[in-house]
Amino acid sequence: MYYVELLVIGLVWGCTYALMALGLTLVYGLLRILHVAQATVFTLGAYIGLLVANRTDSLPLAFVAATLSAGLLGPLIYRLVYEPILDKPPFVALVASIGVLIGMEDGFRLIFGPYGLSFDDNPWFTATWSLGGITLNLVQIWMVAAAVVLLSAFALFAARTRAGVAWRATVSDPVIAQNFGVSVMRVRYLNFFIASALAGIGGVLVGLLNNLVEPAMGSVISYKGLAIIVLGGLGNVPGTLVASLALGVVESFGSVFLDKVLDRDAMAFLFLIVVLMVRPKGLLGGAH
Amino acid sequence: MKLKLLAGVALLGAVLAAPAAAQQPPIRIGFHAPLTGFAASDGKSSLNGAQLAVEDINAAGGVNGRKLELVVEDDQAKPEQAVPLANKYIGDGLKLVVSGSYSGPTRAAAGVFQAAKIPYISAYAIHPDITRAGDYVFRTAFMGEVQGKAAAKLVGDILKKKRVTLISLNNDFGQALSAGFKDVAGKFGLDIVSEYTYGMGDRQFGSIVASVKRDNPEVLYVSGYFFNGGPLVAQLRAGGVKAEIVGTEGFDTYNFISIAKDAAEGVLVTTSLDRDSKLPQMRKFIDDYEAKYKVGADMVAASTYSAIEVAAAALAKAGPNDPAKLREAIAATRDLPTAVGKLTFNSLGEVNKAGQIQVIKGGKFHHFATIDDPVLLAAPTK
Repeated sequence: MYYVELLVIGLVWGCTYALMALGLTLVYGLLRILHVAQATVFTLGAYIGLLVANRTDSLPLAFVAATLSAGLLGPLIYRLVYEPILDKPPFVALVASIGVLIGMEDGFRLIFGPYGLSFDDNPWFTATWSLGGITLNLVQIWMVAAAVVLLSAFALFAARTRAGVAWRATVSDPVIAQNFGVSVMRVRYLNFFIASALAGIGGVLVGLLNNLVEPAMGSVISYKGLAIIVLGGLGNVPGTLVASLALGVVESFGSVFLDKVLDRDAMAFLFLIVVLMVRPKGLLGGAH
Repeated sequence: MKLKLLAGVALLGAVLAAPAAAQQPPIRIGFHAPLTGFAASDGKSSLNGAQLAVEDINAAGGVNGRKLELVVEDDQAKPEQAVPLANKYIGDGLKLVVSGSYSGPTRAAAGVFQAAKIPYISAYAIHPDITRAGDYVFRTAFMGEVQGKAAAKLVGDILKKKRVTLISLNNDFGQALSAGFKDVAGKFGLDIVSEYTYGMGDRQFGSIVASVKRDNPEVLYVSGYFFNGGPLVAQLRAGGVKAEIVGTEGFDTYNFISIAKDAAEGVLVTTSLDRDSKLPQMRKFIDDYEAKYKVGADMVAASTYSAIEVAAAALAKAGPNDPAKLREAIAATRDLPTAVGKLTFNSLGEVNKAGQIQVIKGGKFHHFATIDDPVLLAAPTK
């Protein structure tokens, strides 16, 4: 039972990573940018969600506000930071992205203070469900539900809608897509909106799970996100999901069996190295 | 023309000299802390404590009639930032420096100050090597090992429990605490049933909670900072763990309670600060801090406040100009009343003082016990 519990905990962590990493893989797939600054959007979502929840006592409202604010910041970062340097080599965008992350982290610190903020009332955290000796709280259940519902919705969107087809066309060849009348610009904005909204929702959920929203909360998960998208095969959406869940489970077991030798945040990279040695193109094989 | 210029210079000199004669310039004390970066929360508390100490000392007339002034720098909790900062302080002619930072930067700077023979006081960094840098380096906080021993005595002698699980942070702070605890666990009849470590960035402890439920200890000894401990304690309680929780001075801040909320109730912490203290210096610090910053005082602020008190006492005795005399004055500190109780330095520059156990009740820290065991809590002398 103990091992089942560790497995379940790992899958919950995996869902957190999935919400974050999907956006990273979407941005990479479209623009070949390693969007480290996604962490900023994640943190902003958490702060906005917390402020709204503490003001209004309404978690649904907090999620709406977080989704919108994060969803707007993402395209804004694209417009102000990435677009002017799209013709430069990819590392230029990566360096710019890291710059945004560091700058915003200290921005959060200046605006919201260095101590981090907590939810005044966190009813989902204390509402626990037990099944066969495994206890999960409502935030963890919501984390899984959010990941399953939002990622399925995204899959449907990509497969079935006109915008989804335009998005896929732009990913495979922007020039031809444009010649067929797809607005590449709109696809990019939409891409950043979806990626960032997912991260924003993830931010609030992680804030609720930790009952702590802090300036640097996004950076570790963001670098881990990079490991995940490489693991999944760069730009490969199903691969990213598998890699997220796999990493969650590795960390869950690793943090009690390898805890004396390895920091949990280092496991992602060890796992990455091991997988790439066996499967150089990532867990699900070939990249785009 | 030349004459005019000379007259001008003379006049300027007179203008500058006049106020200087009336009021002596302030005595400058170097102070570095992590004001940005991952440790910025403790850096903020530390700076608050230092500034409050300087204000209180200046309000009481300063040191021999001269005001104190802090020269504040941000070390980002990084050793590579601390070394140039230390050289800058030395180059600027400062004669006394206080560290309001973690072990990494403090340890790096300690060697630089020792080489330059400038007295250096670490407020709350706990790595043993800091004071081993030499006779110019002092520390006003408990070493981690000493605090860990106090926790073992608390569990065995006061709580009368036996089965313990250790959950420790994997940096020098957490490892020193658990080393001290394990060192004397046998002496207090404790049985360590399991041991887990976690990293600085961890906020999610589901697998440790599951493991603790399986191990079923009577007491958990948990090290780390409030941003780890708050989520950890909340998750332990939400997961149904009922064991008594003993934390360390890293939890001694109201931020811990605001994260863990109801789960913080009943948690014990080993620390230097007693919120119910009758000691006038400790009382004054706690009350002044709350009045000025509108938040409850924490251990980091208290330790830093007391480090400035130690510095001021030495400046009063030895004057501000001779680092060698200042060093002697600090080393000779005996039973100096400060915000963290009476301090005495040993031959290594480590402090000997009583340990405080606080319990969280009704969302506040309160007195639970004082561990005044000079033999058990004696700081190492080498």
